[in-house]
Amino acid sequence: MSVEMGTLQKRATGIVDLDTVTHGGLPARGVTLVLGDAGAGKTVLGLQILANAVAAGEGAVYVSFEESRDGVALDAASFDWGADLMASEHLAVIDARPPPGAAVAGGFDIEGLLTMVEAQAQALGAHWVVLDGIDRLLQLQPDAHQALFEVDRLRRWCEDAGLSLLFTGKTGGQQAVGNYFEGIEYLLDTVLILSARMANNRLNRRFRIGKYRGTAHVTKELAMVMDQRGIHLGHDTTALENPAPVSSRRLSTGIPRLDDVLGGGIYAGSTVLISGLPGTSKTTLVAQFAATCAERGERVLYISFDELADRIVRNVATTGIDLGAHRDSGRLTIIARQAWRAQVEEHYIHIIGLLNEMAPDFLVIDPISALLKASSEEDAMETNERLLQLARARGITCVLTSLSETGAPEGEATLSQASTLADAWISLAYHIQSGERNRTLSVVKARGSAPSNQVREILLSEKGLELADVYQFGTEVLMGTARLQKEMEARRAAEAEAAEREQRRQELARQIEQAESRIQEANSELQRLQNQLALEDQENARADRETTARQDDIQTQRTPRASERGGHSASGSGHDGSEQ
Amino acid sequence: MSDYRLILFVTGEAPRSQRARANLDAALERLRAHDTGCEEVDLIQSPQRALDTGIFATPALALIDARGNQQLLYGDLSDDTRVDRFLTPVAGRHP
Repeated sequence: MSVEMGTLQKRATGIVDLDTVTHGGLPARGVTLVLGDAGAGKTVLGLQILANAVAAGEGAVYVSFEESRDGVALDAASFDWGADLMASEHLAVIDARPPPGAAVAGGFDIEGLLTMVEAQAQALGAHWVVLDGIDRLLQLQPDAHQALFEVDRLRRWCEDAGLSLLFTGKTGGQQAVGNYFEGIEYLLDTVLILSARMANNRLNRRFRIGKYRGTAHVTKELAMVMDQRGIHLGHDTTALENPAPVSSRRLSTGIPRLDDVLGGGIYAGSTVLISGLPGTSKTTLVAQFAATCAERGERVLYISFDELADRIVRNVATTGIDLGAHRDSGRLTIIARQAWRAQVEEHYIHIIGLLNEMAPDFLVIDPISALLKASSEEDAMETNERLLQLARARGITCVLTSLSETGAPEGEATLSQASTLADAWISLAYHIQSGERNRTLSVVKARGSAPSNQVREILLSEKGLELADVYQFGTEVLMGTARLQKEMEARRAAEAEAAEREQRRQELARQIEQAESRIQEANSELQRLQNQLALEDQENARADRETTARQDDIQTQRTPRASERGGHSASGSGHDGSEQ
Repeated sequence: MSDYRLILFVTGEAPRSQRARANLDAALERLRAHDTGCEEVDLIQSPQRALDTGIFATPALALIDARGNQQLLYGDLSDDTRVDRFLTPVAGRHP
């Protein structure tokens, strides 16, 4: 049971969260002082440690200075392990309440007590001893230093006896009450400080390791929550230390056009925020995501803060999303919680418990704004951040919805807090135009994607959720009836234009045809003219030859001898000219 | 015989236990109550007595009346005023 940590030996308490923040448990041989307000959970802490010891087959000794055995049994009965603990023969419950009216005359010590406890521990094989409310006895000491001396006696005693001793003392605020415990924190090496304060009319329990000498431990003040299983601390570093690898796998949202807008879907293991006013279909959208995941065979955990599970299933069924079937198949679990019933830390611890139990692939928190507004002493934001970090580290894809505040001047900016948690932010809104209220969707941011900046209209039908392209009219986007009307006008105009174009085309074709036939006509005219020209040339040539021949004849008839007798040169030159 | 009896719870020979014994003797002497029956229980020898009586701090003086009602005084009985007040029922019967 004990864990070697350097020189300090630790003993696991069996309370997982406590063993985590103490890095292994409480001193195996030594005293742990648990200081706390009334109702802070000191007794439960002690009893739960003993219950774990008894369940592990060890003995346990519980000495109560404030309650009877029946009172202790009543305290334990609120918890799953209570009945087994109180029925176990390995547990000794000792009623050490000082008798009523007990007076004091001089110093006293608790050696008798220690002798008796040691005998009990040996008989039962116990390593754990709880002295609950010993301040009730010690404060009777007339001398405050004597009380401190007794505490020191306790310390030496359990080191010698090899026992892990838990003893409790009341505080007022952060300080030990009265001077009988003054300086006790300095005397002891291990001090746990519990507190219970009212915050927004709710009891808010906190846990802090005030001191743990000789070992690393968590020093932060943590939320402490009690349920039927016992004590839980709002702290889990195990998943954060070994985060799941970052995935570049895209998951379809089940809405093809939205996938397109997001650059192919949402990244597996990322966190998506869906914000919007009431009635902007946040739940429908998120239900669509959840149903799509379940269809892929993934495990989906849907935590609802607004609506009962059955009502969500019924409401989204009207838009064709069948969550009921997925719930029946076991792939979808819907847990409805009422935000006001618990503090943020309690919700947180419960959700962590569900994550551990179910190991979902996909987590829906609808709406996360309920958690942000739930009462908490510390920053609710931080708790949400821790939850989402944890989910992210485990590779769980988270979809959160957030209710926008109506009448907030900044509108979307009021969500800036929640949006910092998210990798992608989808904003849903109304667009009021021409007496209509139409739902719109736009992607405000999407890390690792280049989302479209276009606002789109959401169409809900019994076949599911679909996005419509919005009609851009100048600088305005038109939706709903205005969009339909505009679309119709545009269709008519386009049809008219098409008809006009066709007409024009036909006209041109006709003109071309005409031009072509004119070309053909001109060509045949050309041919005709060429033929005619050729004919005329032949005709002319023939006429010329006939004329020449006739002239020759005339010449011959007129001067036949002159040419024959010797007028050679004169007539010769005359022949040359005419024949060429 | 007194209707009352006394039990002094001690732890062995611890200095405080020894002082308590001496202080009790002196008080009974002072109050002339020597005939009051007085038992001493050493819790180291008999831790079961602590369990039975619910007395875990020592020294402690129990004063038990005839009907079994018990009054308790913690401490080494060094505060005479308080011791005398505690022992008033058994004081001065035999002047």
